[in-house]
Amino acid sequence: MQVIENLKVKEKLYIEKLQNGLTVMIIPKKDIQKKYMIWGTNYGSNDNKFIVPGEQDVTEVPNGVAHFLEHKMFEQENGTNSLDVLTALGVNANAYTTNDHTAYLFECTDNFYEAMDELMDYVQHPYFTDENVEKEKGIIGQEISMYDDYPDWRVYLNTLEAMYHNNPIKIDITGTKETISKIDKEILYKCYKTFYHPSNMVMVISGDFEPEKLLEEVKKRLITNKPSGEIKRIYPEEPDSIVKKEVVQNLEVSIPMYTIGIKDVENNNKEDKSFIVKKDIGIDILLNLILGRSSSLYQELYKDSIIFGEQSLSYEFGKGYAHILISGISSNPKEVFTKFKETVTKLKEEGINELDFERIKKMCYGNYVREYDDVQNVSRMFLADYFRGICSFDYLENIETINIEYLNQLLKDVFKEDKMVLSIVENK
Amino acid sequence: MEQNVKEIKKGIKVHILNTDKFKTNLFALFLTKKITREDVTKNALISLLLRRGSKTMNSQEEISKKMEELYGASFDCGIDKTGDNQVLKFYIESINDNYLPNVNENTLKTIIESLLDIAFNPYIENESFKEEYLEQEKNNLKRKIEGKKDNKAKYAIERCTEEMYKDKPFGLYKFGYIEDLDKIDGKNLYEYYKELINTCKIDIFLSGNVSKEAEKLIEDNENVKSLKERTPDCVFPTNEEKEVKEENIVTEKMDVTQGKLVIGLDVNLSNDEQKYFTLLYNSLLGGSANSKLFQNVREKANLAYVASSSYLRYKNIIFINSGIEISNYEKALNLIKEQIEDMKQGKFTEEDIEDNKKGVISAIKTIGDEQDTEVIYYFGQELTGVSVSVNDYIKIIENIKKEDILDIANRVSINTIYFLRN
Repeated sequence: MQVIENLKVKEKLYIEKLQNGLTVMIIPKKDIQKKYMIWGTNYGSNDNKFIVPGEQDVTEVPNGVAHFLEHKMFEQENGTNSLDVLTALGVNANAYTTNDHTAYLFECTDNFYEAMDELMDYVQHPYFTDENVEKEKGIIGQEISMYDDYPDWRVYLNTLEAMYHNNPIKIDITGTKETISKIDKEILYKCYKTFYHPSNMVMVISGDFEPEKLLEEVKKRLITNKPSGEIKRIYPEEPDSIVKKEVVQNLEVSIPMYTIGIKDVENNNKEDKSFIVKKDIGIDILLNLILGRSSSLYQELYKDSIIFGEQSLSYEFGKGYAHILISGISSNPKEVFTKFKETVTKLKEEGINELDFERIKKMCYGNYVREYDDVQNVSRMFLADYFRGICSFDYLENIETINIEYLNQLLKDVFKEDKMVLSIVENK
Repeated sequence: MEQNVKEIKKGIKVHILNTDKFKTNLFALFLTKKITREDVTKNALISLLLRRGSKTMNSQEEISKKMEELYGASFDCGIDKTGDNQVLKFYIESINDNYLPNVNENTLKTIIESLLDIAFNPYIENESFKEEYLEQEKNNLKRKIEGKKDNKAKYAIERCTEEMYKDKPFGLYKFGYIEDLDKIDGKNLYEYYKELINTCKIDIFLSGNVSKEAEKLIEDNENVKSLKERTPDCVFPTNEEKEVKEENIVTEKMDVTQGKLVIGLDVNLSNDEQKYFTLLYNSLLGGSANSKLFQNVREKANLAYVASSSYLRYKNIIFINSGIEISNYEKALNLIKEQIEDMKQGKFTEEDIEDNKKGVISAIKTIGDEQDTEVIYYFGQELTGVSVSVNDYIKIIENIKKEDILDIANRVSINTIYFLRN
């Protein structure tokens, strides 16, 4: 296995790409009781239009299939449910779906290999029937209703709708009750066969292990040895412009919730991967300089009781999309938006202050180090970053290369007023 | 995993959890005081005000800058209701010196001093909290109290609690009440603050790669030195006798898509050992994916995505929690009652018990893998007065028998059925 060591966090990553195309990553953790295993496929709610390897025609499926598939993978032909089997082993098992990947996981202290047997078995053996597909529609229908009652989820989705004309990032991961009604077992099998091939998948394991020995255990449990052809994913053309400046939804909330979105251009087509990492760190630093806890804007808005605590600041990117999100609750979201734009303009004119920059950089460094304490955090981070073409260690390595000139330029390139949208959820 | 406890003065304890497993140090301070209608809002307001500045760090901005300088140490304070107590919690978590890019930095000392300063040396002008900060934090608290209904699922549990504990301490809302705010000013709140600091139970936790000297740093701190001995004004939980009454059925309307059904159960325990049995009972009822609720309400009847239960050991109550189609209310309620009844009838197997034991034991084993979990575990022992090592804890769970769980099942009764609908 290839070993990548990071001296800053004193951790090692063991990585190997197997013959069938599966990438396995192991991060050993001494003296920790917890063991964590996650197996993910590069397939999420965005992948609704594609060409199956070996076929000519384009396949298009209803929204919500990736998530539906995640729910159904646990069902086994012998009538058992793998979630029950794993739970009975005393392990904590789960699965989740994002825009760009689906992952199956468990965390345990004992019975690791028994749990690994079960996880690897069920992910490699789908079993869908008309009946078991039909019954899941009731459960997922309630999951959809649950999200409808989360104002923070609504304000997020509305932001994406205001930014994107066509890119599927704007669709709800679960689909809607209407789109999932069209899902049947044939669609599920087709998507499974396309996207659940080892060459489209990554496995990450962290805990107190001997990596080489563990890799052998993984290999023993794999049933496909041949690599597969390339999946062609088709994403619609996305204009650079936004759809609308503002979107408001009425829900019963005590105080408005808002998200400011800034649409950016795609990064994932860049060959140089350190480009993305640097940009991600740079935006992290910029957002904290503008609206972090120590910023003047934060202090001003807090003093006027316009905001009441830390705002969530993030940068999301993937195939065909990239955007900044700033969210929180506010007595006056429009005022936050106006002041935010003013602050950005002023910062562009005056440039970034050296002392502030050094301090925020230290903070970001500490935040990256902190990610490495928990086996779950580490595993999920390496998995998600891998699907974006990044090795997580690169954040620790690249942060030193960032300087003020770079940030001043980045601020001008990304924080553009005509790319900004405001989404609000408030009372009628 | 073990802690080193020292009562430095009566009512004030320092807990050192020394380990080199983590890249961070966690320094936590808990002030525990009996929750009362009179003081509940004041305590909540104090926890917000103290974050605004101390005598040495006059403003929030200064505190934030200091934390950022310490490689993004995260500072937080909050308020919790634990049993019949209100707990003011203060935390700073920071990168341990071994992982700093520059050697010879001693961040631990700065962190200890900063947190003790924030809690015990507030920014005071003329024997009064700063009026400007007070007004802003009153607004902030008002917003938090009103925000209770924003998360509908949490709101439903909160409302069920209020119904179960009408006019009782545990029925109080941890953030307090808006009508109290007008009576509070900078002077009377500071008077109350001094009383709080002199009478609450104080627990100081330090977890991470910390030496004996760290304990000395705490003991020798001027702010700590000035604290007085006290007999803490807090409540240690007892197994109070629960009166079995007719089910209280409450329905409330709000603009929701999905109905939120919460059922509050009383568990009538007569000794502390039964708390462990109840933990396992809860796991079987709705605490795991193999539980009766998950299997029958979600997987078989497909009525819900969430169908679970949780046990509050300080009060011996269980909440059943579920999100359902509003028209399915009767159906879901009957099915849930059937599960409670089946538990009473002993309709669960030895295998079910063994499977659930594994899950519970695994969770116990990982307590030491997370700093905050470990701190809360030991703090829980402080408040219950029951000190059990992780190994003994595991043994107790292993030895639980079917009749123990069956006995608990028959000590369970429905207190309140709460339904939030449109």
